[in-house]
Amino acid sequence: MARKISTRGMTYAATFGAMTAIGAYIIIPLPPVPITLQTFVMYLAASLLGRRLGPLSQTVYILLGIIGLPVFAGGKAGLGVLIGPTGGYLIGFIIGAYIIGRMIESRKHSGYVWIALSLITATVVIYICGVAQLSVVARLSLGKAITVGVLPFLIGDAIKIAAATLLIVRIKSRAQIKKISND
Amino acid sequence: MYNWGQYVSGNSIIHRLDPRIKLLSVIVLSILILKADINAGLLLSVFMIAVIFMSRLTFQRVISSLRPFMIFFILLFLLHVLFTDGTPIVRIPFCGLSITHEGFYMGLYITWQFMFLVTGASILTMTTLPSDLISGIEGILKPLRPLGVPTHDIAIMLSLALRFVPTFLGEVDRIKKAQMARGADFKKGNLIKKTKSITSLALPLILSAFRKAEETATAMEGRGYKRGPRTYLRKLHMSSSDYAALVVIAVIIVGIQCMHFLPSA
Repeated sequence: MARKISTRGMTYAATFGAMTAIGAYIIIPLPPVPITLQTFVMYLAASLLGRRLGPLSQTVYILLGIIGLPVFAGGKAGLGVLIGPTGGYLIGFIIGAYIIGRMIESRKHSGYVWIALSLITATVVIYICGVAQLSVVARLSLGKAITVGVLPFLIGDAIKIAAATLLIVRIKSRAQIKKISND
Repeated sequence: MYNWGQYVSGNSIIHRLDPRIKLLSVIVLSILILKADINAGLLLSVFMIAVIFMSRLTFQRVISSLRPFMIFFILLFLLHVLFTDGTPIVRIPFCGLSITHEGFYMGLYITWQFMFLVTGASILTMTTLPSDLISGIEGILKPLRPLGVPTHDIAIMLSLALRFVPTFLGEVDRIKKAQMARGADFKKGNLIKKTKSITSLALPLILSAFRKAEETATAMEGRGYKRGPRTYLRKLHMSSSDYAALVVIAVIIVGIQCMHFLPSA
């Protein structure tokens, strides 16, 4: 954070913050629960923007929700969401974005396996943050928190991780992208 | 464009309060409610109702902001009602579950706490323009500046993102229609088909986001945007009603702390 963000870095973080918000609007029906593309965009933002701008874009996303845009899953908005039972997932997005950025930057060439692995690690971290806050704020036992807070979403996450991995490898090969992560 | 969101225009005393004070109050009230017992909770609820009256928002509108959370409230309530051990009131046949006294009250309590959180935040966003809230957030984060948090950059990014959201919403709609015209089906298909349809939507969207970010950066640099001391179109300043609001919040904090010493009813 100590290094100054360039203008270009700022516009990228802002666009991807807005994109994550849009992701929450795209709902794909799937059993048992429909999925939104929010975490999917977060995967893309983190892996394309790197460990500095990635988390920043997610911070922008959360602040957009706080100032009242209905950008959290299911059209929710406001500070209450962040402090309430499901706020842990949102905080997990920032940490998860950092982990993805860090893991992908640590290798010169990251292939399908490494990218998928970094997305899975980040997802696990998001769930740890989410379940921790869910069980503390809603006073649920750990088992119950996992039953409502993790299990219904696993199929959707698997699909999102698979799709994101394919897409990241395809986009990363373009020259333009390498420029901003150095900014 | 900037009114997109929950803002309801008005000129009540709550509307005119400094956004920093409003943000701070919501944060303080949220923390208080999570630690509140029954007495403190009643006090806070009465205060919240008073604030709704002062803001001249209709109750209908405030309650409508709770709607997206309904499923979650019900789920949370049922979880506590059905899975808490204690003295049973009603037994549900065939599945070995029973509604307990403790569970019922716990469920009510937790659901009400969460409703309070959402209501407080909704009043904030209904009475404050998004652009004012951005400067409020910047103001509140200011003490973190010596730690290297780029508060002004965050405010600029937030304003940019706020402007981008409606643009991208339109873009998604356009891409979706374009792909449907090419035979994409977003509703049917097995898992592999669905994965593919996500990609067909996301790839053009991501590329358009990159293009937009590049264009905006070039436009900003072209107009001489640079970091440094800046002036603002609307400067925040504290008026007497802001100080009064601070005093009210302080009284509530002290009041709740004192209630702990009272013998509980």
